[in-house]
Amino acid sequence: MRKTYYYENLTYNVDDETDVNFTIKFISDGNSGYSTINTPGPTNPEIENEGTVFIGKGKDLKNQQINCVSSFDNPIPEEDEICIEYWINDQLIQRHKNLKSEEERPVIDLTITFE
Amino acid sequence: MTMKIKYILLCVIFSPIVLLSQEKLNELKAPSSPASGLLGLQPSAVLAPKSYQALETAIYSNFMTNSGPVIPNDFALEFTPYWIKNHGLTLQEYLYPTRKLDQVIRNSSFSIASTQNFLLGDSTASNALAFGYRTTFYFGNKTDRLRIDSLIKVKIIPHKIFSSIKTKVNYLLLQKPNPIVKSKAEFLDSIKSTVYDELHKYYCEDQTIKLWNDIVAASYTLPMINDSNNKDFAEQFLDIIDKNTNGDLIFNEFKSYIKKREGLSVDIAYANILNFPTSDFGLCFVPRQSVWITPTYQFNKNLDFLTVMGVLRYEWYNLNYYNKYFPVLNNYKENMDFGLAASAQFNKFSFQFEVVGRYSYSEIRAGTDSNGYELFRKENRSDLQYIGSFNYNLTDQIVLTYSIGNRFEPLLNPDHTLVSSLAINFGFGAPTKNELNFK
Repeated sequence: MRKTYYYENLTYNVDDETDVNFTIKFISDGNSGYSTINTPGPTNPEIENEGTVFIGKGKDLKNQQINCVSSFDNPIPEEDEICIEYWINDQLIQRHKNLKSEEERPVIDLTITFE
Repeated sequence: MTMKIKYILLCVIFSPIVLLSQEKLNELKAPSSPASGLLGLQPSAVLAPKSYQALETAIYSNFMTNSGPVIPNDFALEFTPYWIKNHGLTLQEYLYPTRKLDQVIRNSSFSIASTQNFLLGDSTASNALAFGYRTTFYFGNKTDRLRIDSLIKVKIIPHKIFSSIKTKVNYLLLQKPNPIVKSKAEFLDSIKSTVYDELHKYYCEDQTIKLWNDIVAASYTLPMINDSNNKDFAEQFLDIIDKNTNGDLIFNEFKSYIKKREGLSVDIAYANILNFPTSDFGLCFVPRQSVWITPTYQFNKNLDFLTVMGVLRYEWYNLNYYNKYFPVLNNYKENMDFGLAASAQFNKFSFQFEVVGRYSYSEIRAGTDSNGYELFRKENRSDLQYIGSFNYNLTDQIVLTYSIGNRFEPLLNPDHTLVSSLAINFGFGAPTKNELNFK
């Protein structure tokens, strides 16, 4: 069974008029995967591999929780760890790191509360 | 261990035929660790430092003692500088570098090996160090590109399905303080439309229905939902989703393919030996240097069992050194090996056939002329080696190998060119390139 890494109780302070962008950055080499971000709106933004998506205005997210689920893998033999960063606008929210000997296809589950 | 394997082991151990001494066959391909290969070492462990600090520690702790610097025995180290750091390479960039030069940099590895048992001609043990370098160029072709693109597209599907379904599972089961659903039946009823819609994006109607039925059937074995096991239940349900969408299977297929990509690759390696025939650090020689150029073509699809390999190996010998420390041997100054090998693998069996030509050349001093200038005479020799090998994997770690053929004339017993050897490899030998944990 794949290992799931939970990061709960994450918070982000946001102003009402701020556009909120969610970014996934690959730090280690050879990662790939897909992330779905469960936001309050009718559609859930998605990111294939790494990149940035707009997830809403500050006023729509304030006092709400978002949940980001990432399903990744790393098939390259030269790399022995999986390292990925999650950013909201210019702030690092979480840096995930795991050894491939522990899990080659990690699931990363972030819950972020906007304040 | 099965009786069959025990029987074969006993036959090999006690058979007088197979224990007839033969000089070790020279590997056709470039060694994974050129330094160890040139020294003829089969170290019990190869150090593969993953940072510059670890490299310094490995060298310092092995080469320095309280009494001063030493050359360690049975030491092997492989260092691949590029993979020390993270670069955030995407899979596409890793597989198809934008600049061709990147391949050389990424695949460059440096090796150091040393021994205190480098035997001179009179069987005196001496210290020896070897340094090596290796890199690989891969020349991708259209078929490989199409295969990679196709595998990447297929590999992302289970991730898309998984992440999308998990967000819904989280919503239903992991809401705090109270989850939305309270029972397994309620959960399956609530998740059905999400699972069905996600699967139907990539599978036809019939397949989607079948997959959903399989998922429901497998879910019967899951425990009942209660307040304390929601997370476990969610992970077990998602494991069923992953298994039914072949996430693990597709990932492993991709991993296997990129280790054995179709097309031409060329290994280039260089190594030299530094020998200290006495204990004096001031007296050292470079008796031998080698360069390997090994083009390999890996077939795929219907011929994926087949690999064809060429070799060009060029070796220099320091004749002053050999004449002094190996007076019995009749070494040539330069050796050029060129040949072709084909190997085929079928489950537990593999075959290899190789033909290698050798051209040896020396300029030998032949006195002086009337003006006192040195005179030389040229001496050369050609030879041919052809060997067939049959391997059978008794287990994952134990390989039984039988080789037959004609080898190059050995230096010690020139008439003994017949090769007929049975050997068992217990997997303790030098690692292959893929086994080395470079990072």
